[in-house]
Amino acid sequence: MEPTLRVKSLRKRLRSFPQAICVERAVLITESYRETEGEPMVIRRAKALSRILEKMSIYIGDGELIVGNQASAPNKAPVFPETGARWVAEQLDSFATRTVNRFLVTEEEKKVLRDILTYWKEKTVLEVAPKLLPDETREIFELTYPVISPTLFLRNCVGHLVPNYAAILKRGFGGIRTEVQEKMESLDPSMPENISKLQFYRAVLIICDAVSHFAQRYADLAEQLASTEDDESRKKELKDIAEICRWVPENPARTFREALQAFWFLQLIIHIETDGLAESPGRFDQYLYPYFSKDLAEGKLTLEEAQELLDCVWIKMNEVIKLSDIPPAAKYFGGVTMSENLILGGINEDGEDVTNELSYLCLEADRHIMLPQPALSIRLHSRTPERFLLKVVELIKTGGGKPAIFNDEIIIPSLMSDGIPLKDARNYAIVGCVEPTPSDNTNGWTNAAMFNLGKCLELALHNGVCQLSGKRIGLETGDAKTFTSFDQVMSAFKKQVSYFIKHMVTMLNTWDKVHAELIPTPFVSSFMDDCIAKGQDLAEGGARFNFTGPQGIGLADVADSLTAIKTLVFEKKLLSMDQLIDALSNDFEGQEDVRLLLRNKAPKYGNAETTPDLLAREVGLFYCREVAQYNNPRGGKYRPGLYPVASNVPLGGVVGALPNGRKKGIPLADGISPVHGCDVKGPTAVLRSVSRVEHAAATNGTLLNIKFHPSALKSENDMKKLISLLRSFCSLKLMHIQFNVVSADTLRMAQLDPENNRDLMVRVAGYSAMFVDLDKKLQDDIIERTEHML
Amino acid sequence: MDIERTTGLIFNIQRYSIHDGPGIRTLVFLKGCPLRCEWCANPESQLGHPEIIVVPNRCIGCGKCIAICPEKAITSTPIGNVINRSRCTVCGICVEHCFAEALQIMGTTKTAYDVLQDIEGDDIFYQHSGGGVTISGGEPFTQAKFTFSLLKLCKERGLNTAVETSGFTSYEIIEACLPYTDLFLYDIKHLDCDIHKQHTGVENSLIIDNARRLAAKGANLTVRLPVIPGFNDSEENLVNTVEFVKEIGVTEMHLLPYHRFGEQKYRQLGREYKLTIMPPEQERMESILKMVERRGVNVKVGGN
Ligand code: SF4
Ligand code: SF4
Repeated sequence: MEPTLRVKSLRKRLRSFPQAICVERAVLITESYRETEGEPMVIRRAKALSRILEKMSIYIGDGELIVGNQASAPNKAPVFPETGARWVAEQLDSFATRTVNRFLVTEEEKKVLRDILTYWKEKTVLEVAPKLLPDETREIFELTYPVISPTLFLRNCVGHLVPNYAAILKRGFGGIRTEVQEKMESLDPSMPENISKLQFYRAVLIICDAVSHFAQRYADLAEQLASTEDDESRKKELKDIAEICRWVPENPARTFREALQAFWFLQLIIHIETDGLAESPGRFDQYLYPYFSKDLAEGKLTLEEAQELLDCVWIKMNEVIKLSDIPPAAKYFGGVTMSENLILGGINEDGEDVTNELSYLCLEADRHIMLPQPALSIRLHSRTPERFLLKVVELIKTGGGKPAIFNDEIIIPSLMSDGIPLKDARNYAIVGCVEPTPSDNTNGWTNAAMFNLGKCLELALHNGVCQLSGKRIGLETGDAKTFTSFDQVMSAFKKQVSYFIKHMVTMLNTWDKVHAELIPTPFVSSFMDDCIAKGQDLAEGGARFNFTGPQGIGLADVADSLTAIKTLVFEKKLLSMDQLIDALSNDFEGQEDVRLLLRNKAPKYGNAETTPDLLAREVGLFYCREVAQYNNPRGGKYRPGLYPVASNVPLGGVVGALPNGRKKGIPLADGISPVHGCDVKGPTAVLRSVSRVEHAAATNGTLLNIKFHPSALKSENDMKKLISLLRSFCSLKLMHIQFNVVSADTLRMAQLDPENNRDLMVRVAGYSAMFVDLDKKLQDDIIERTEHML
Repeated sequence: MDIERTTGLIFNIQRYSIHDGPGIRTLVFLKGCPLRCEWCANPESQLGHPEIIVVPNRCIGCGKCIAICPEKAITSTPIGNVINRSRCTVCGICVEHCFAEALQIMGTTKTAYDVLQDIEGDDIFYQHSGGGVTISGGEPFTQAKFTFSLLKLCKERGLNTAVETSGFTSYEIIEACLPYTDLFLYDIKHLDCDIHKQHTGVENSLIIDNARRLAAKGANLTVRLPVIPGFNDSEENLVNTVEFVKEIGVTEMHLLPYHRFGEQKYRQLGREYKLTIMPPEQERMESILKMVERRGVNVKVGGN
């Protein structure tokens, strides 16, 4: 099926708008906050959202079937002063001029914002929370070359949820309203514990009305547009839109189209309530399936119509954007992605495969739209149908890096090991990039912080002294030059890790308490189990399951470094600790020979070799167990992950030279993937190495990136072999894998930086070679062919 | 004979090989070949003893190898270090001291058991794909004992086995391996004996004869034809080859288009690459493919 003309033109139209700032939300929320000072925060938040939804500009674009906008025009980003006041003010002059992620903003708008932002001074998490830290933790927080990067939830709302969309599709906000009213009537207001519950319920009631009213505004607008529309078919479409928006999300959805429109209102308002990232639609093909199959069976819907509606939702998802926070001094920038993860296939609560016709249409929608959102994923298990995997591989082949693949066979048991019951574990979805999270009921704080394992090793090798600043920032674990055994190195490293983890937890728990105080989120709480049952906002711990998930970064660099020390220093004695530490201190300046020895003459993680693989396992497991012993203020546990988003680049920027031959400032390895250029034995060896890392302990997620040259995916046969690789991945019980189909540009980069691209295998005419070892002429030839193949 | 301890000279083990037999396979490359095909893309496979290769773009010019070579066989030149092959004893000392990996040794002696272990590591991938091991070369049957041992060991462990061969060996050697070989990827380069000899160094009669006998014995054969422009791609030879394939009862063919990716390896080995021809155009390959199909043989370009 090809996308319809409507879809093509909607997509084109979306791309035609420049990125810009929209000030409406900032103006409206400030107005509301000024009026509600002194009231309970949860009520203030509800009233503020209500004001925004009532007053913000709305539009219905030409040809749209699914309606609802986040800002005054497509590609405009609203401002969230309640979290961003300070950084927005600081970056106001650079938004429109910086080289990456530019946002246009007029002088007049800047003036409006400057006026507003002064109101928010000392009212944001960013300003309030760090002051609450104990002195030692605060020093660690303020380091120029930090070990811990805990700032995402300091500078933004938390987000990272898979709320219960199905509840609203089934019951509507009308249903929520009734339930809340009954709850309120049953509560004795004189009981102390009921005071805050009643406030929360009042807030939810305000929300229910605000949301229904918002939809009515679209119904009115659609009717108005219909009355002046000359084209009869568009006139009819507008009338339909009006009718649908009159009905949902106040009432239960009756048709597939109503369900999609109601879904879109939810997804949209989540992004108007807060600036949290990774608000994930989750098991979209599951909760929409009943509407889809019923309409199909009753002849109310054709597959073509369903596809077009889905395509429209896909476009809408890309219309929601966020102002990106790039401090003007930032050297590296990983990029902002909304990470709205939508996952297809997998098993249901009873363990049955539930891949359905809608799952296929969703894959097709992604192929039609080819834009970053949603972050598309699939759930793989031992009985995933072959036909589905063929479709998946076809999409992988297009080179967009989607979908990511998650393994039911390991994720379900590992969630259970975190205390999640079987039913909920089987109903998991993915939040953000890779974080397995039960649907409907979990506040996982899944991207809480990045923890730099590479930096910990640096500190362990220099007695706690940072090689970039020359300052002692870590524990004094001893002069590594005097170490006489590998165990001493390992033990110094582990001490640094434990020490910094404790400080990280102190930071995150502080932020957590401040979020509960300053940014309750009554809208999303209204359809997140068990907030209503408990009468408690999500931010305070209202969800059924609560976690905090910080990620360890640099696993492969640490494993390779420890392997080099173990084999070259202590076993083969080709180098003394003294020589090693000196070379590291000098960033290998004038000692390229030592660097190459470390890089080339010790085994590396990613090649199915025992020593580095087991060290990776030991380091990963140590990090995970240390993190998992802590608790958060919402009554939940810490849940470790081993994935980087894009932080392996900036985090590498603060780490000095390491014993794997990595020079100062070079990016760290990505998730549990091997160090770039070090896995030279192909994908099966990588998978085997990675399988030795204890995935079940990294319950907040792991990430594995595999590069493929398009020539390895040419024929149907090649694709079948990739499917076999995926089935093996499933049996090996790895959590996540994603494929990067190499582009001509990647190859050009490899020509410029051969050392870090030694893993790039190309297969041309059945002939395999490491790309960087070919001579220039051949490389050029392959680049040409690559361009041709994608 | 303790087959596990049989040793072979191996220059590469390549995993996730997807074009040399069914499923996901591990390719074991043995060193040594009686043929000298002008187009050979793996010149490091030809000689039956280890060799040093020089990868100039990795060299950092530290000079250690030159200083340390006991035979004084290495000299620095404007195009990189050059090894005087007549002096080099392949002691490997320079390789050990070259941290840049600009010097590498091609060919290590390994026991069949060690290689088996290496192959079995990827077992899970074979299980899911119906893959296994393909022994390639060089010419595997020049290391007859090792090839036999490895095939037998693999087969005993339930692995799918394939051999990629030039067919230039005594029939008895191949026959001994027959019970342990699921698939022969069998190269036929030219049907004319003189032309064959001129461009590969050997006559083709043994090859043709072995193919016939193997097929008659019921071995599973896929005939591989490297398409070398100007050598074997005349209409006449192509038709003759297909007819021969049919005549001996083989139903599968692979067409392997000539490429020049091996060229730089000749330089790394200090040898000369003599061919000046260009790879066949894609259209040309397709037309050959159609011709073979029309004559009723299942055919693919590249492997499967
Ligand atoms: S030892 Fe290696 S890097 Fe040094 S000069 Fe010799 S070949 Fe080049
Ligand atoms: S292998 Fe030995 S003899 Fe040959 S060049 Fe190297 S050091 Fe010299």
